[in-house]
Amino acid sequence: MIEDFLKHLFPRAVLQRNLTLSYTLCLGGLAFSCLMLLAASGLLLLFYYQPTPAAAYPSILLLESSVWGGRYLRSLHRLASHFFLVLIVLHTLRVILTGAYQKPRELNWLVGCALLLLAIFEGYTGYLLPMDQLALWATQTGMELLHTMPVGGALRAALVPDGVGEPASLLRFYVLHILMIPGALFFLSGLHFYRIRKDKGVLPYL
Amino acid sequence: MKRGYLKSSPYFFRLIKIALTLTVLTLMALTALIPAPLQEQANLARVPNPVKSAWFLLWIQELVSYSKYLIYLVLALTAAFIALPWLSRSAPPQGACWFPRESRVVNCVALAICVAVLALTLVAMFCRGANWQFVSPF
Repeated sequence: MIEDFLKHLFPRAVLQRNLTLSYTLCLGGLAFSCLMLLAASGLLLLFYYQPTPAAAYPSILLLESSVWGGRYLRSLHRLASHFFLVLIVLHTLRVILTGAYQKPRELNWLVGCALLLLAIFEGYTGYLLPMDQLALWATQTGMELLHTMPVGGALRAALVPDGVGEPASLLRFYVLHILMIPGALFFLSGLHFYRIRKDKGVLPYL
Repeated sequence: MKRGYLKSSPYFFRLIKIALTLTVLTLMALTALIPAPLQEQANLARVPNPVKSAWFLLWIQELVSYSKYLIYLVLALTAAFIALPWLSRSAPPQGACWFPRESRVVNCVALAICVAVLALTLVAMFCRGANWQFVSPF
């Protein structure tokens, strides 16, 4: 059933020349592969991570020292997140440099923009979770940057009601990171693929 | 099957499977070489100097270190980026190609912004020391 669903996301037939790798470089597909790897590795990390200020860091230490492959799993998740962001940015650049954002693909361009911004937000929320010095101060600096923006103060208050790394903010970052943003990313990725299929034929783009 | 077309299954899906496999294997191999860092436990009383944001936000931090009003430049660029299909007046190219002549201006601006973001990120990452002073990376 899942295989049938996945097949229906894509067109039944594609232009042979559109499968040329030198055009798309498969960057979007590689980014989505990273997203799936992130989901799989993140799901396993959930079994050990504890989203409270007192227990978060010790749970990472436990994962790294006492769980077989724990350190490797966390490293894989982190590296995949870096690749995910880089590949999405490169994919976006490719779309611009090939003019594939133009009519009739405006809606898919907007979906892609939303995916890029969500990917950055996902990376940012994940940064805090280990609750080490790097995590705390990088997140704190991000909040200061947000504060310089118009309505940034209100956004900051919504994200961090009690200070960076305090119980409510860590819980909010956690829920956003493991549930809400990934859910939105997968939903919009599905919509992105669907729109590629819908737009196909008007221009010979993959 | 129309001329010039191929069935997605297996031709297109095979490509997707190869991309997925290569991505996963590459990342798994690189992970063995690049372990995730873990510093000491978070402590609000111990402020590092300099304090740096996540690597993907460093270019914004570097930019606002010159003037906080430059954040409006970031917002304007983001708005222009989202509205790109409506801002670009060039006719869509008839075929898939890199650097279509009709979009020369957009392409040049996009590449210039990418180079600027990359340069700002590298400066913030390697050339900023205590109190955000410029230091040599070497």
